[in-house]
Amino acid sequence: MKFISPALVLCAAVIVSCAHGPQSASTPILPGEAASSATVAVASYSLEPQTAPLQIAQSEASPPATQSEPTGKTSGDEGDVDYGMDISAAEKVTIDDPWEPFNRAMFTFNDRLYFWFLKPVAQGYSVVVPEPARVSVSNFFSNLRAPIRFVNCILQANFIGAATELFRFMINSSIGLAGLFDPAGSEEINLVRQDEDFGQTLGVYGAGPGFYIVWPILGPSSPRDTVGMVGDFFAYPISYLDPWYAWLAVRGYQMVNDTSLSIGDYEAIKEAAIDPYASVRNAYAQYRQKKVEEKGATTRRPGPDIPGAGTPARGIGP
Amino acid sequence: MIRKATLKRLVIAGSLLLFVLAAAPVYAATPLETVRTEVNKVLEVLRNKSLKEEAKREKLRLIYSEMFDQEELSRWSLGRNWNALSEAQRKEFLPLFQQVLEKAYGDKILAYSDEKIVFDKEVPIAKSRVEVQTRAITKSKEIPIFYRVVQEKDGTWKVYDVVVENVSLVMNYRSQFNDILAKNSPEELLQILRKKVKDQKS
Repeated sequence: MKFISPALVLCAAVIVSCAHGPQSASTPILPGEAASSATVAVASYSLEPQTAPLQIAQSEASPPATQSEPTGKTSGDEGDVDYGMDISAAEKVTIDDPWEPFNRAMFTFNDRLYFWFLKPVAQGYSVVVPEPARVSVSNFFSNLRAPIRFVNCILQANFIGAATELFRFMINSSIGLAGLFDPAGSEEINLVRQDEDFGQTLGVYGAGPGFYIVWPILGPSSPRDTVGMVGDFFAYPISYLDPWYAWLAVRGYQMVNDTSLSIGDYEAIKEAAIDPYASVRNAYAQYRQKKVEEKGATTRRPGPDIPGAGTPARGIGP
Repeated sequence: MIRKATLKRLVIAGSLLLFVLAAAPVYAATPLETVRTEVNKVLEVLRNKSLKEEAKREKLRLIYSEMFDQEELSRWSLGRNWNALSEAQRKEFLPLFQQVLEKAYGDKILAYSDEKIVFDKEVPIAKSRVEVQTRAITKSKEIPIFYRVVQEKDGTWKVYDVVVENVSLVMNYRSQFNDILAKNSPEELLQILRKKVKDQKS
């Protein structure tokens, strides 16, 4: 019992971020990611379809055509363009959804939770607490999650990543004032956070997501990532706060703080979607898939190597 | 003596200038330059405090039509289903879809607050297709935004997909349209879009 209630709370906290869409609750965007995904993108394009994710159903809804996506042009007027075919199979990520009725109900629940509770609270909170302070709070919790990232880097045999996390933790905990700031991630030091979690580790070892699940409060998930969440729970120091309600309070606060920094994201996703539920489901599938593929991401920011002639290496917009 | 030297310099500068001018029309911007130019135009509009919101929207609309290939984007979003639409339905689909995008992302873009955009690099995807990788740096995070561009017949590059945090816009729409068209006719899809646009306006 003692474990169960914290677990629920955890879920709730995680959901906060999940409720905004694909980005997983506990991990804001990782600066280093751009670099890694660049590499991955290149790789995945050249991959043969055999690398299509194990458990990811290539179910492009319309049944008859699914397997036989035309390899040539699909119609006369399209020239040499073949929509979707020059993108690797891995790009066309979809996820099975046998629990759809349950999931849709939970989606609605989380949606209400966000609009009726979380968002107003986060908005009120952001009126009182200025943005830099909220960013620091977010950095602080992110720093405390270092063990999760460190352990999963090790589990994925990404030792450079693990070392990066170790140094980040040492630098940010000291110079960064207990993690309130992120000097390690600055351009000068350039140790970029390695956003690895246990769900990704399972994915790296071949576990597919399974199917789509929407948990109340926790948001989009899958059997694999649910197991991953439990693993992350034990690697997160906050989980060991003693009276369980202290843990609950902290996670709740973390959720509100994270929400306050991303108000508008979920709204935009919803507004843009024809079917918000299906849109979030697909975004989740794409996002997690890429995360798993990105294993062993480089720790550098994207370097100045541009194939195009004469283009300045990196441009910084005004 | 001095005058002669000055003259010489002028001549050299002049011929250089001529050379540059002559070369300019032949020179096609690279994908990264194209994206950078367009994104900077957007930022310029957003930073222009003297413009009213409606004026900003109008300007953004112009930039969008210059920057994006709406037909290509629509085809990618529909995938195989593009062929299920008749010519007339496609004609109606393009502007409807554009309006949905415009309304949804217009609000988000107009809420922009001093994010810095870094243009990292271009990665070839396929023939005449390139991914331009950028990052939007906000106070609390960095968001990778990749623009996939296709080379048009005239040699210019136009965006047909935007990948935000590894989620491809067209693939996301494709999954939704597939779902809808598995159970509905193209006409019903248009109906849904018309309703969506109408709801967005109200």
